[in-house]
Amino acid sequence: MELRSFIFRRLIQVVVIFFIIQTALFLLFRLAPGDPVERMVDPTMTPEDADRLVAVLGLDQPLWTQYAIYLRNFFQGEFGTSFYYGQPVVEIIWEKLPNTILLFTTSIILSALVGIALGKIAAWHKGSRTDTWLTIGSLVTHTVFLPWLALLLIWVFAYKLGWFPITGMISEDVWLDPGAGLWAKALDIGHHLVLPLSTLFLIHFGSSLLVMRSSMLDTLKEDYILTARAKGLTDKEVRNRHAARNAALPVVTGVGLGLAFSINGGALTETVFTWPGIGRELVFAVSHADYPLAQAAFLLIALVVLVANVIVDVLYAYLDPRIRY
Amino acid sequence: MNARTAGTGNRNSEAEDLLEVEDLSVGYRTKRGFMRAVDGISFSLKKGRSLGLVGESGCGKTTVGMTLMGLLPPNGEVRGGRILFKGEDLVQKTEEEMQRLRWNEIAMIFQAAMNALNPVQRVEKQIAEAILTHAPDLPEEEALRRVEGLFQMVNLPGERMHDYPHQYSGGMKQRAIIAMALACNPDLIIADEPTTALDVIVQHQILEEIKALQDDLGISLIFISHDISIVADVSHDIGVMYAGQLVEYGSREEVFGDPRHYYTRALLASYPTLAGEKRDLVPIPGETPSLVAPPSGCRFCDRCDAAAEACSLERPDWLEISPTHRVLCARCLSS
Repeated sequence: MELRSFIFRRLIQVVVIFFIIQTALFLLFRLAPGDPVERMVDPTMTPEDADRLVAVLGLDQPLWTQYAIYLRNFFQGEFGTSFYYGQPVVEIIWEKLPNTILLFTTSIILSALVGIALGKIAAWHKGSRTDTWLTIGSLVTHTVFLPWLALLLIWVFAYKLGWFPITGMISEDVWLDPGAGLWAKALDIGHHLVLPLSTLFLIHFGSSLLVMRSSMLDTLKEDYILTARAKGLTDKEVRNRHAARNAALPVVTGVGLGLAFSINGGALTETVFTWPGIGRELVFAVSHADYPLAQAAFLLIALVVLVANVIVDVLYAYLDPRIRY
Repeated sequence: MNARTAGTGNRNSEAEDLLEVEDLSVGYRTKRGFMRAVDGISFSLKKGRSLGLVGESGCGKTTVGMTLMGLLPPNGEVRGGRILFKGEDLVQKTEEEMQRLRWNEIAMIFQAAMNALNPVQRVEKQIAEAILTHAPDLPEEEALRRVEGLFQMVNLPGERMHDYPHQYSGGMKQRAIIAMALACNPDLIIADEPTTALDVIVQHQILEEIKALQDDLGISLIFISHDISIVADVSHDIGVMYAGQLVEYGSREEVFGDPRHYYTRALLASYPTLAGEKRDLVPIPGETPSLVAPPSGCRFCDRCDAAAEACSLERPDWLEISPTHRVLCARCLSS
């Protein structure tokens, strides 16, 4: 029950922080050098249309009024129209969001699980060759320049070996084929997912591994590990039931904190692989001065990070009974 | 319980030694060299009796306990001697054999102030785990029922077994740890500073309970403490340790009534007592010798009032004061 009130309080925090981010974003877009009208109104519009849009967005009004209009539009779900697509921003977001969620959640969960499993092994065999290679390997993949890694994977596995498609998320011939079932389509997406997922996985699993390794080394010094051994448990039971479970807790925190930093990697990955997600849309919107779309994408990313942190907090409270908020 | 009687045959008559430690030497490989934490100690323990090992920090008493459990850290090593438990040498046993023996036959009571209980598991689960490890075929509900019985034995309210350790007070944690030690009906319990972190009143209660349980269940007990008054309270026999050696060994009455080793005397003089006449406490001057390169003669002679020149040169021999009382001192008869 205390957990429920904790979640409630955290959600209120999220609302407040989101509101602050929203305000900051509003100011950033208005304070940027240049004419706000120029940024918010599609340059290809007819002068009449442009004037109407200026009136709707209140761009001829003082800043406070503009802010009020901005908030009102937000609550009405009105994010404007993309310059580039000429389509409501909301529609574009809804279309791309699931793709990003698919790529992101899979890579985050997979890298955390693999990082925990390998970090456990590295710590258990501390100082061994396995430990050395795992540590060096995770440091290398963690620090490598992401676009380079992505291009390397494309070059080797898509171009040279031809195992995976070079770009995109679906193959048109599969999706246009009326005979293709759900399974074939899912398989097709999975096929396209391998390389971008591997890129994000390789970049991220190292930090989980290193955190898990050092956390596990600390945990192994704990007295309850000695108790577990004294009870006659085998090494494997001590390691998995008592050490790893407790050592994994900081990894959960690390993943939550690292989420915000993994956004840019996600955007780069989506761009390199032309994965039709929010991150790529964001890069695209910024480079094409598609301000309405960029603004909405920024807001969405902020929201995702905030909610993910709440999830991590709740998960943490569930994993560690000492944490009660 | 079946494994306990089946394994060794019925050689344990009342007079039989449950445990015989012979000339045991244990040490740790360190950067400065091999540290002889325990150097040639011998003692024995009969069924149902309790032995108190007393000495200051670093004298090797905890190492003795860990060696008996086969739980030395990776740099620890038994360099010599035998540990005969029910006639079998524990030093020769493989890790797997020791795993079967641990807790089932030799259990340990840890200090509650240590994180001896896993903070993220319910107490009942941790105790049931000990039971189920040694009786894998037992249904879990049955194990939990046993945990409830154990809680009764140590005077803990049964419903608290579902709690996590951090919801317990220090005294409750200590009781839970004792309950856990009793979980598999061991023959021998090693209690390493079990009451050190508790306040005096709770300490007293816990000691009384340990004594009562030991009497009721006929368990043999090795009680390790730096606190000589506590050791005196619970033990039939006393072993005084100094710098890795046993320096005096005898029944409680003999060691406390007629202390022979100068270290034992100094130890007694440095502790306050409520009973008896008021006296000044005398601290022991000096430091314990290095265990990497221990002196060749008596290890206490630098701090000893009665030391003669020969003390620092010649290794002292054991002197029998009585069949049960012996002391490692060359000059203890001269005063």
